[in-house]
Amino acid sequence: MERFKEILEDRHEYARAWKKRTGGKVLGYYEPYMPEEIVYAAGILPVRLLSQHEPDDTTDRQMYGNCACSRDLLNQFIKGRYDYVDGLVNAEGCQWMLNAFQTTLNFKTALFNHYVFVPDYVDGKTSKDVMRSELEVFKKALEKWTGKAITGSALDHAIEVYNTNRRLMRQVYELRRADSPVVLGSEAMEMVLASQVMDKAEMNDMLRDAIAKLAERKPRSDTGVRLMLVGSPTSDVELEKLVESLGANVVIDEICTGSCYFWNEVIPQPDRLMAISLRYLGRPHCALKDNNWRRRPAHIYQLYEDFQAHGVIIAKQIYCHPHGTDNPLIWKVLRERNIPFHYFERDTTLPYEETRLRMEAFINMLKPELVLK
Amino acid sequence: MTQDYWRWPESTWTSKDIDWKNSSTITAGVDIGSNSTQAVVMCDNSLFGYANLRTGPDYRESAGQAMKQALGKSGMTIRDIKYTVATGWGSRNVAFAQKIVDEVNCHARGARFIYGSSVKTVVDLGAQTCKAIRLYDWGRVSDFMMNDKCATGMGRGIEVMADLLQVPIQEMGERSLTVGKDPEPVSTTCYDFANTEAIGLFREGYKENEVLAAYLFAIAWRIHGTVGKVNPEKELAFTGGLAKNAGIVKRLERDMKMTALTSEYDPQLAGAIGAALIARDTVEKD
Repeated sequence: MERFKEILEDRHEYARAWKKRTGGKVLGYYEPYMPEEIVYAAGILPVRLLSQHEPDDTTDRQMYGNCACSRDLLNQFIKGRYDYVDGLVNAEGCQWMLNAFQTTLNFKTALFNHYVFVPDYVDGKTSKDVMRSELEVFKKALEKWTGKAITGSALDHAIEVYNTNRRLMRQVYELRRADSPVVLGSEAMEMVLASQVMDKAEMNDMLRDAIAKLAERKPRSDTGVRLMLVGSPTSDVELEKLVESLGANVVIDEICTGSCYFWNEVIPQPDRLMAISLRYLGRPHCALKDNNWRRRPAHIYQLYEDFQAHGVIIAKQIYCHPHGTDNPLIWKVLRERNIPFHYFERDTTLPYEETRLRMEAFINMLKPELVLK
Repeated sequence: MTQDYWRWPESTWTSKDIDWKNSSTITAGVDIGSNSTQAVVMCDNSLFGYANLRTGPDYRESAGQAMKQALGKSGMTIRDIKYTVATGWGSRNVAFAQKIVDEVNCHARGARFIYGSSVKTVVDLGAQTCKAIRLYDWGRVSDFMMNDKCATGMGRGIEVMADLLQVPIQEMGERSLTVGKDPEPVSTTCYDFANTEAIGLFREGYKENEVLAAYLFAIAWRIHGTVGKVNPEKELAFTGGLAKNAGIVKRLERDMKMTALTSEYDPQLAGAIGAALIARDTVEKD
């Protein structure tokens, strides 16, 4: 389990080593709608750009008012943290990430870049055809960049590798359903985050080993309060660790860098690009894309029930407009179903003492022994 | 000698009527906030003693001092207390506490002791944080909200304004209510900017009490925004140091269209009382 954490923390080193070992290209991407299978089939390593905790002293003149995550990504590019990245792709998501993508290209003009349009109404009648045509254009752009055709068998292989990864991650998450889970929320989140910056074939081998070891692990005797985490994407596990230090455990999440990243598979069909399009359009809806058929609240409720959570933490990244817009509906649904929740805003860094007080109060609120007379 | 206008009166009290030696369970609660520390001793279900002091730079020392003063000359020592619960920002520094419980649950519990079991909404107005707490009928916390990140417009800000205006802190609220119709609130409750704005109001010809009204109105407005998120319902109770500022309480009552409950107890003691009661529950459970 330590290895996932190490790779996550040293993700830049991992990518540099991969590049040196394989001689391949690395493609950084911003949003979860980026069709990784096509990139992988082209022999390129797709790396999700994750923010980190570092003072931002470079972006004020470029991206004032954006969320800290998007600003931090620009900050990292300016400081050379992502010097190994050969290209950038943004698959239509939030405005802040689009802004980070475009602004980065002002500084890094030599990078290959591509913008994949993803319909906001993912369930719309024409959405799958629009998405498919976007993937066709993207595939051609990658072929032109690498000078190599992406074959059908390469796509099939990539789909299989990615689907395997999704199945293995689901197995890890299934372990969290138990009354006394053998895997902590922070460990599971480290695995998902690491999988977004790693070669999936290597990740799959590591996951198989980890699952075998987890089967032998003894569950914690004190299972504590079971929590669900909902909200903006995150690139660290500080919140999960804080919750664990208070005797509780995050047993399930609904965040785009967590379960939403791997929850559904590509269902193979002869038209491979259509299969990939349907997978991405059909993934658990991101707050921004949950527009016509509101699926997100039902998905959150289903996960809450399936994983027997006692309460929900809704952590919104400050200035995150998709979640800011979507949250009122989520609150309404949770209130209607009498599901206890606590909402708070976080920055890239987690204000530790303040958050601890919030989490402590929320966990105590859910504990049966603190019944007030 | 200059006057410390911000300095609020500290208080201590020890019961002369309760014979603590005949009590079956003695518990204590210590609430260490960023500005004030309260220690409460309870004999069975009754308040035996308390101290409400300024928090010093050494939280351990503050906790010890408050407890010492709450025990007074009763002859009781810390060793006679069966269980102590600490709460507040400095709770982890209370060496003699057996357990730490968050402020939200302690204030909820303390408010029901002080104001009665009809309380449904508790608003804790502290030196740095405002906590709006909703309770189920049976007293358990059902929801809560806190101000985010900045401590602006809470107790510490009031102290700064007291010094700037040279008005004793305990008179600020009442004096702000003498202006008849409230002026426009200052545009920010941030200590620094509100001070600058207050000076600007003086320059425009505002009287002292009008500046106070503009500042306290802005604070009440901000607190109202936090409280609104938990869908407040009657009965409403205020706890914490700012609950003693009529200028904030009356404006909140007006804006929330609710009348807050009153009590003979000091509302600043709510957190410590709640902690002592949770300590008693723990003893009973064990």
